[in-house]
Amino acid sequence: MLSTREIKQRIRSITSIKQITRAMEMVAASRLKKVESRVLASRAFTEKMNSVLNHLVSSLESAHTWFAEKEQAVPVIKVILITADKGLCGAYNNNIIQKVVKFIREKTGKEIKLTIIGKKGNLYFSKGRYASLVEKYIPETVEKVGYGHVQALAGQLIKEYERNEFGELHIFFTKFHTVMQSFSTSMRLLPIDKGAFESKEKKTGGEYIFEPSAEQIIGNLFPKFVETRLYQCILESLTSEYAARRVAMIAATENAGEMIEELTSSYNKARQSAITKELLEVVSGAEALIR
Amino acid sequence: MAKTFKLEIITPEKVVYSDSVQSISADGTEGSFGILADHAPLITELKTSILTVNDANNRTIRLAIYRGFLEVMANNVVVLSDVCVKEGEVNVEKAHAEKDAAEKILAGGGSAEEKEKALSILGRANTWLKLANK
Repeated sequence: MLSTREIKQRIRSITSIKQITRAMEMVAASRLKKVESRVLASRAFTEKMNSVLNHLVSSLESAHTWFAEKEQAVPVIKVILITADKGLCGAYNNNIIQKVVKFIREKTGKEIKLTIIGKKGNLYFSKGRYASLVEKYIPETVEKVGYGHVQALAGQLIKEYERNEFGELHIFFTKFHTVMQSFSTSMRLLPIDKGAFESKEKKTGGEYIFEPSAEQIIGNLFPKFVETRLYQCILESLTSEYAARRVAMIAATENAGEMIEELTSSYNKARQSAITKELLEVVSGAEALIR
Repeated sequence: MAKTFKLEIITPEKVVYSDSVQSISADGTEGSFGILADHAPLITELKTSILTVNDANNRTIRLAIYRGFLEVMANNVVVLSDVCVKEGEVNVEKAHAEKDAAEKILAGGGSAEEKEKALSILGRANTWLKLANK
């Protein structure tokens, strides 16, 4: 059994851990709140854009080049991975990294090029067996990646896609659902899935007027669409990260509390038994003297 | 009171405006146009320009738009734009700085790509300043 002093020291260190985790929880909570409103705004934008594209695609006469599958001709798959910059957020980073690893294993025979956003993803992939796959690492922290960055990245990706440098673009991110729930998922950004725009809703109000032509508008809207999707994915991931960190920190704070309770009770026990022992010694010593 | 319709102006960062309005006038790539209630369905591209809105209470609201699309559908107008600022929210200093930087790039020798970007930013800065000065 530990001595009372050792136990006391432990209680002290766990108390300070608890303070730290509590503080981290609060920080995560406040950041979560901020980024949550951003993700909601961005969702609104993406939804509207989807509906506009829906209308556009359903009035297109011929299939657009953006839908054309070219995986056969160009067996290169680009993968964008979004992770956090820091740990201490439960299984958040691991889940999404494992998903990518699984994807890489499934796609044998294809060349995979990784673009990584987030330090943790880079740490995992930059060394070891998949190091050769990493093409690019975006060193900005996920939080600082603004719409401008996304535009630059998306612009470059689209140019490469048009030059047939890769056949498919997948993005791995964590979709935010609620604070307790988010899903690590993947999505194919390019070629654009035409099925997603086959409009299910009935058209109301007659035919559209297009200025300029529908083809031209679509040609300008699709790059924008890729851009907003990418931005949305980053925001979703960031929100999930804070949510995951918050949940992890709440659990850690709780655990620390429990541990402190346990240690306090064993401290009391140890103290009690030390006192009893000392008393016994005094009493038996006194008794020995009397005899 | 004139018939109103719903207008939403959304950027990826936030919903800038969402209210019922009486009329909008905007600059499309094919020329300027106005929209009143019961407009036919329309999808068009917008220039970097100032959008003038007449809201339900007959107030005039001016917003500067940097690249965007506009959709009219059954009395719902949606404007999707990269960046959008309201009158009075323009950061004049930043716009001036952007303008100077863009002009420098245009004056000096840069790649066609850089120049194109600078031109687009110059257009934005000018529109922003126009909105600020009325």
